[in-house]
Amino acid sequence: MTTRIDTSASGPVIELDAVAKVYQMGDAPVHALRGIHLTVEPGEMIAVMGSSGSGKSTLMNILGCLDVPTSGRYALDGTIVNGMTRNQLADLRNEKLGFVFQSFHLVPDLTVVDNVEIPLLYRSMASKDRRKLALAALDRVGLASRVHHFPTQLSGGQQQRVAIARAIVGKPRILLADEPTGNLDSQMGEEIMEILHGLNRELKTTVVMVTHDERFAKQTDRIVRLFDGRQVA
Amino acid sequence: MRSHFKLALKVLARRKFFTFISLFGISMTLVVLMVATAVLDNFYAPRAPESRFGRVLMIQRVTERGPDMTQSTEPGYALLDGWMRPLHGIERSTIYSNPHSTAIYRGQSRIDIDVKHTDGDYWNILDFRFLEGRPYASQEDAAGAHVAVISEELRQKLFDGQPSIGKTFVLDGDSFRVIGVVPRVSFTRLAAYSDAWVPIGTLKSSDYRHNFMGGFNGIVLAHSRSDFPRLKAEFQSSLKAFPLDRKLYTTMRTGLDTPFEATARDLTQNKSDSAALILVAVCAAAALLFMTLPVLNLVTLNLSRIMERGSEIGVRKAFGASRGALVLQFVAENVVLTLIGGVIGFVLSTIVLHYVSQLSFVRAVFEVNARVFAYGMLIATFFGVLSGVYPAWRMSRLDPVLALRGGAA
Repeated sequence: MTTRIDTSASGPVIELDAVAKVYQMGDAPVHALRGIHLTVEPGEMIAVMGSSGSGKSTLMNILGCLDVPTSGRYALDGTIVNGMTRNQLADLRNEKLGFVFQSFHLVPDLTVVDNVEIPLLYRSMASKDRRKLALAALDRVGLASRVHHFPTQLSGGQQQRVAIARAIVGKPRILLADEPTGNLDSQMGEEIMEILHGLNRELKTTVVMVTHDERFAKQTDRIVRLFDGRQVA
Repeated sequence: MRSHFKLALKVLARRKFFTFISLFGISMTLVVLMVATAVLDNFYAPRAPESRFGRVLMIQRVTERGPDMTQSTEPGYALLDGWMRPLHGIERSTIYSNPHSTAIYRGQSRIDIDVKHTDGDYWNILDFRFLEGRPYASQEDAAGAHVAVISEELRQKLFDGQPSIGKTFVLDGDSFRVIGVVPRVSFTRLAAYSDAWVPIGTLKSSDYRHNFMGGFNGIVLAHSRSDFPRLKAEFQSSLKAFPLDRKLYTTMRTGLDTPFEATARDLTQNKSDSAALILVAVCAAAALLFMTLPVLNLVTLNLSRIMERGSEIGVRKAFGASRGALVLQFVAENVVLTLIGGVIGFVLSTIVLHYVSQLSFVRAVFEVNARVFAYGMLIATFFGVLSGVYPAWRMSRLDPVLALRGGAA
């Protein structure tokens, strides 16, 4: 069942209430997340940190509506996610969320601009308008001159910038970045962080970022720390 | 939908090896199917001199069965004259013999030809284009006039291709005067095909008039196809009065058939009046069976690409692609691939048929026309959907989290 609640601009964009995730490994249950309470306000930029196996990826998957909690309640921009069908979740992701992955996940067969258009393919939109928005997003990340290149023709930093353009082309409320600097050297990492900060500052896009880098985490508004599936800070 | 096809073209253009392997299999399969379709089209599609064959019913096979013996052959003149010609509400009917092989001589040179004996209405049902002269009329047939229509090919052999109206040649001991010349007819046009046509009335003996079995074929030209059921029923009903030799036979089976039904009746030895359905089913099953291997090959290739494209599937799902959208995309990719294969198959089929038609023993001009091309594209689309749906369904069911974890950038 989908419950739509008041979505005033001042309401939280993310509300997790006692969210838990349990995987069954054979007969043994594995508690990936235990009773997470998290509220993120519009325009916030937060970092999620934790060691390997602490539940960061599970949390990001749930925040990204790619997975559903075993128990607890999740409200995304005022919409209760629990109980939604796969197609409803797909629509919600398309409308509200943008994703940036550590390994970029660009489609190698498509040009830069075609990659950026992907989120718009699942909206009713004329191809001319799609192209216009994609070019604007690429311009924003400084890649206007590389639109017809293929991903393999770009450096790692440039590929991640394409991925960011793809994530923001649909003007999402929330950007979920899973270790966006993890595969980049420090200089490129800083460039990417600068772009994310710019989006957060200028477009008021809420950013939730998983990182192992304390330096980058400290640049955010606050840090959420996980340990063994529990929120410890 | 347009964007799906555009995207499909881009993906195929980038994945050259996969595209080449797939196209090779698809186009080779389609060549065989399109050549088969072209041959069938050559046999059955209405075209000159059988342009009116959309409106004809034929009697081509009669079978009498008894406890000890079975006789299955063409109908005789008496059966056609007594049971087919009197049918009510038909535009015309014709009786003509099977072509029989004989030899004529030009000086010392022997020329082997096929000759057909026909009545005058034969020329009103079949629309031959006359290069010279005219056909013979019913009155000339009735009078036993020794006149002949010959093919362009025979004119070349007999008269070096020169105008030949009024010239004569000797056939089975009688002299015939040429009154018309028509273009060569393919042997696949069973009703029209011959090298020379002469009136039935020139047959040396009139015994044929009393034979119920053997030697002839009949065609009825209806005013429209909607008359077919009525004519078939009337013919079957009138057969009750057929004088079956009860000492030898207990049943007799024949029918007014469309050209395709007539062939089906022949091929199934006239054991069922639903022969056409059986033949269609057998052809469809054969085509499906033939397609099975390349379809499975393409399915396997597509499935093997699931892992390769895991990252892409994960990304598309993350950014809002529904299962339906993904299925549509992957099926569209496959259909584009098979349609390209169809076009290549079309070109190759045209080349193959060109060379087949030039073989001297074939005596037919096979071609891939618009109708065959349309059938070919239909087969290609069916092929594309068949080989695309299952892999697409599997791809669309991938868990996006697992797909993103396992996929390469």
